[in-house]
Amino acid sequence: MAKQDREIRMSLQTLKVLEAFLENPTDQLSGSDVHSRCGLASGTLYPILLRLEAAGWFVSRWESIDPATAGRPRRRLYRLTPTGLRRASEVFASFNRGVVA
Amino acid sequence: MTSERMVNWADRVAYRLIHRAAKRAPGALSERLEEEWLADLADRQGSLSRLRFAVGCCWATSVIAHDRELGLLPAAAGPVAGGGFGSGSSLPPAWRRTAAFIVVAGLHITVFYAFVVGLDVKFLPSHVGPTVIVPVPVVPKDAVPPPPPPTGFNPPKVDYPLPDYLPPTEAADPNTVDPTPPIAKNTGQDLVEPSHTPDPPAVRHVTGGPGSGFPIPDDFYPSAAIYKGETGAATVKVCVNSKGRLTSEPSIEESTGSDRLDGGAINLAKAGSGHYRPSTDDGRPVDSCYAFRVRFNLKN
Repeated sequence: MAKQDREIRMSLQTLKVLEAFLENPTDQLSGSDVHSRCGLASGTLYPILLRLEAAGWFVSRWESIDPATAGRPRRRLYRLTPTGLRRASEVFASFNRGVVA
Repeated sequence: MTSERMVNWADRVAYRLIHRAAKRAPGALSERLEEEWLADLADRQGSLSRLRFAVGCCWATSVIAHDRELGLLPAAAGPVAGGGFGSGSSLPPAWRRTAAFIVVAGLHITVFYAFVVGLDVKFLPSHVGPTVIVPVPVVPKDAVPPPPPPTGFNPPKVDYPLPDYLPPTEAADPNTVDPTPPIAKNTGQDLVEPSHTPDPPAVRHVTGGPGSGFPIPDDFYPSAAIYKGETGAATVKVCVNSKGRLTSEPSIEESTGSDRLDGGAINLAKAGSGHYRPSTDDGRPVDSCYAFRVRFNLKN
């Protein structure tokens, strides 16, 4: 995991995604939800989600609905793992370090 | 269900783009990404938004494939699908982007160069030699006669007599363009008026000819004539107004012996309308008719 952590590049877009999840760490968000929160384009958003998932920061699952009943396709939902929550919190804490409030 | 939302062209394009993008994603991710993207596509409002989302997914496929090559995504994602903008290319994405940038920059430079040169690209074969336009000048009567030629000098061969114009001369080198009118009377024989004849109060008349911006003769060398190796010189008579425009159809005064070359000379003369230098009387442009020669040469 530690090795995977090092491979996460903390770009501004990645931070925006993490910030969207940190608003409520227990939320399960689809790509569409993340887009509406941070405004990233799909070409940027989905690679970041996959990278964070591969690094163990996120887990994902299919939405538990019946598409025929719901009248829409099931979404892929992402949520922060405990490791991801800790690491994301550390990252944002490191950014606040030395900043005069 | 998704197809119900694809009610217009943009939606259909978006659907196809996502399907294609997902198909080219690394194997195990292909189905998942397609379903995930189609579900998120359904949440987008507006056809344009959906189209932008789909285009972004195409880019996402490329980035995901690149991540997989770098090991940022697990190899368990499955075999890489082939072809296209996804993972199938043998070049790294950075190289592909650089190549695309070079191609686009090259296209811009090409278009810019084409505009700079006025799209005046010559497509004639390289064996076409320069054609020569030889105006048939009228030497003013009060011109100072040139010095006598050196001993052994052969006067230019006169092709034909022209009563109103000086005869054209043969170019010394058929493969060179002589921008200046040939001095047809440098023998001094015809320029010298009888010394006892009083100068008439004649108007100083200067015959016109092809002027600035006149078309390039090579562009009118008929392809069939080039193929058959036809060469020759035609004398074309044109009537031009004071603004350098043709006032009547040009005509062949002396043929090259080839209808094709004569036609090329006529076409050249027509295309030059507006680029003729009008004749002048005492410096004043006047309507006039005059002849000039067009020579079609081939390189050896």
